[in-house]
Amino acid sequence: MEKQYKLRNGPGPAEFRQKLKIVMMLVCLALLVLMVRLWHLQVIKGDELKQRSENNAVRFRKIQPLRGLVMDRNGRVIAENRPAFDVLYMPTKGVDPESLIQKIKDIYKTRSIVYSSDQPFPKTVKSYLPVRLEKNVSMEKVALVETNAVDLPGVYVDVTPIRLYLDGEFIAPIIGYTGEVSREELAESQEYSSGDITGKSGIEKVFDSYIRGRRGNELIEVNARGKVIKNLGRIDPVAGSNVILTIDLALQKAAWEAFAGLSGAAVAMDPRDGSILAMVSLPSFDPNLFNSGIAHNEWVKLQKNPLNPLSNKAISGQYPPGSTYKLIMAAAALEEGVVKPETRIHCKGSFALGNRVYHCWNKHGHGSVNLHMALVQSCDVYFYTVGKMLGVDTIAKYARRFGLGDLTGIELAHEKKGIVPTRDWKLARMKEPWQLGETISISIGQGFNLITPLQLAQAYGALANGGTLWKPHLVKRIESFDGTIEKEYIHEKTGELALSRRTIDAINRGLCGVVNEPGGTGARARIPNVDVCGKTGTSQVVGLSQDARIRHLRKLSAIHKDHALFACYAPMKSPEIVVVVIAENAGGGGAVAAPIARKILNAYFEGKHNGKAPQVAVNPLPAGHAGNGFTHE
Amino acid sequence: MIFFKYDRRIFQNFDWTLLALVMSICAIGVINIYSTGFSLGDNQSPLYLKQLQWMAMGLVFMLFAFLIDYRIINRFAYFIYAVSIASLIYVALFGHIANGAQRWISFGFILFQPSELMKVTIIIALARYFDDHKSNESYLLRELFIPFILVMIPCVLILKQPDLGTALIIVIVSASIVLFIGMNWKSILIAAAGILAILPVAWLFLKDYQKDRLLTFISPESDPLGTGYHIIQSMIAIGSGGFLGKGFLKGSQTQLKYLPEQQTDFVFSVFAEEWGFAGGLVLVVMFLFLLIWGLRIALHSKDLLGTILAFGITSLIAWQMVINMGMVLGMMPVVGIPLPFISYGGSAMFTLLGAIGLLMNVSVRRFILQR
Repeated sequence: MEKQYKLRNGPGPAEFRQKLKIVMMLVCLALLVLMVRLWHLQVIKGDELKQRSENNAVRFRKIQPLRGLVMDRNGRVIAENRPAFDVLYMPTKGVDPESLIQKIKDIYKTRSIVYSSDQPFPKTVKSYLPVRLEKNVSMEKVALVETNAVDLPGVYVDVTPIRLYLDGEFIAPIIGYTGEVSREELAESQEYSSGDITGKSGIEKVFDSYIRGRRGNELIEVNARGKVIKNLGRIDPVAGSNVILTIDLALQKAAWEAFAGLSGAAVAMDPRDGSILAMVSLPSFDPNLFNSGIAHNEWVKLQKNPLNPLSNKAISGQYPPGSTYKLIMAAAALEEGVVKPETRIHCKGSFALGNRVYHCWNKHGHGSVNLHMALVQSCDVYFYTVGKMLGVDTIAKYARRFGLGDLTGIELAHEKKGIVPTRDWKLARMKEPWQLGETISISIGQGFNLITPLQLAQAYGALANGGTLWKPHLVKRIESFDGTIEKEYIHEKTGELALSRRTIDAINRGLCGVVNEPGGTGARARIPNVDVCGKTGTSQVVGLSQDARIRHLRKLSAIHKDHALFACYAPMKSPEIVVVVIAENAGGGGAVAAPIARKILNAYFEGKHNGKAPQVAVNPLPAGHAGNGFTHE
Repeated sequence: MIFFKYDRRIFQNFDWTLLALVMSICAIGVINIYSTGFSLGDNQSPLYLKQLQWMAMGLVFMLFAFLIDYRIINRFAYFIYAVSIASLIYVALFGHIANGAQRWISFGFILFQPSELMKVTIIIALARYFDDHKSNESYLLRELFIPFILVMIPCVLILKQPDLGTALIIVIVSASIVLFIGMNWKSILIAAAGILAILPVAWLFLKDYQKDRLLTFISPESDPLGTGYHIIQSMIAIGSGGFLGKGFLKGSQTQLKYLPEQQTDFVFSVFAEEWGFAGGLVLVVMFLFLLIWGLRIALHSKDLLGTILAFGITSLIAWQMVINMGMVLGMMPVVGIPLPFISYGGSAMFTLLGAIGLLMNVSVRRFILQR
């Protein structure tokens, strides 16, 4: 049995024998050390530890951090924290939770208030972790629990920060809301623990890792009645970072009010760098409803609302662009050389293609028009003709240059791409070849075309700034709670229009004419002392033929009315704001959307004239945190 | 190709001692898991049953690993290694996520953790390498480059999951094998210096909770919460067991759920609370026999390959056992390393039993091998 093998070469067996014997000794030694330690714990310190185990009164508490503030570009607070009170139960020996809860109910009954828990009492409880009985309770309940503390062993009131949005409704689509961490989120990341508050949508969600802060812990020793008798250790929570948006809260508010209750969306952007100044989506919702857990019926009501209050229509609403698309048509026509600015096309009010007739919105016709006049009066026949000459794929090429059909890359989730139709697209999507008639519809922004308001703002912004697509962004910078800058957003170029100066100037003049020349469709967006350039659009909701459309106009219910669009920028010489307005089912662009845009522009230039709002809360701590009426500990 | 050649001697010289030792330790494990699950509540599927199922599958695997001559297995060593790496990559891409870690392959009804398999595979791969590259001299650093790569690939993949404990075990076991085979003294010094230099960089790649754990170990008083809490409660549970223990199903710390991770990494504290020092002594002595027996197999193997395999498998069990017990007894930082055969965990049970099969393989074939 002890026969040895000989290796052809290599260290001899003797060496391994010796090594293995050393290893055996090491193993014996290691296990001996473990045994000594076990002896030490169980026999020498056994009694002491047994004592500690019998009145094991060590409890563990989490301390929720303050979420960082969200502020507008001028330091005005959009999202802050307020204190909320939870009733908790720390498992205590000899206490039956069932009868304890009954006791609380009885105490409440004396004042005729109802015990309302959002969750049933768990079947198994970890002895060292508290259980939440009620959350976000009224001051009256707090008082009752505190005064009856003697009868309620283990029950205590805890203060936790909860999100508060002062101007909730009109900022909701951007800011989003918070809520308790879900089971899925808990499974996904080690960083969460149950009961944590996380961002659920909007900025709150996208920047949650910055805003959330770090949870603190506390280890305490409690007496037999569940009261804290000794603090064994504590790790303080760390407040989250503050997010400063590019939004101007005053402009945001003005944009919201300009809609006067209509549904739709508006985007105001700085064309020079893509900063979003305002972004509204209507109708909206109160994000404060979510922060303390939304009631089920409220949630159902929001979800079932046909006007879709939970979506941000500025980025996820997809609409036919209507005549605002003529910007792309004009650029394509001039660049491809199918027309010159002075080329005239005769509009007799309709356009025939095969046996179909396409009408101009003005059924009497515009007469002989050149590009400038066609833009100013939004002549459909001019663009039908140009569109037929260009062909769908050439139009698509230019639409893509303007950033249509692609995500803009803004920091929010659920952004939609829209549709820039091509021959291939239709073949792949519908298994049918492209029809020339569809090119005609495309030419005035109807048919398969779909854009989001943000895409349109980016496109008009690119024309305004002379040809650059800037990535639209909402966040200006992120600062830690003590004011050190963690992240500063630099604007990012995502594309070039690559149009000649001549083309841009010609379109620019045309768009200025839309607002400022007699007969221009956008006259209602005119404001004193500032040259506004813009384009109206009216997008058909249902594909009625033009004649039938006129006939049925009066009969149409609100839901089938056209969407009104207006896209504009100002001042003409050096544009600093681009505004896109879409009013859903509201009628014509010139009549409905242009006045809304005018109010937004007015608010912007008036605000500028009055000087920017004072720079408050540049260093948000302590000003920011103390200012929101809630400091932790 | 014939994988299994029948030879009477395989059964005549069967290693009953090894099988008996392993089965006894496993039995203790299952009984202990029964106790931890005792008060889990009604709608929990009993963990001990699941553990038994995995044990049954592990025994089949063990038989498999035993019957095929280990020199034939050796021919497929790199193939087995490649398959293990592929499964780790699969996990990285499509793995099942739980508790913030992506470690498992889901087969629908069952979750398997390939990193457990990797602990054994790396031993097979290194054995193959050193058997192919026998040397009269002790190895120089540059000769160890390929083994180094063999170890680093799975380590990086496992660290990404993230699973510090498993990666650590793979490194420690591999280092043990290399030191055992013989490494040039100068090379050892250089390697040690290199590791010291890399440590601060590695620190940056650790997750926050992993850093916390290491810091807690360095100064436990700084954090009586979090991981400090685990250690305190674990020590209270063990200590309160006393000399004879509180008795089966009577451990108050366990039954009141003070102990975190009591079925997995901290399972020994449950055992020590209920069975006391006497029980702990029995278990440790059984492990001692198992380890010495494994080393004896290494000693008596007929070829270098068998020696390395037996040594590697024994050191895998030894290191896991020592680190886990050290952690539970508050002598080492809390890293996720289970106690072999005792902790709840199907993949670990399955692969460890496979490894034991390989150990028997080496043990029995020393009577068959011709010089």
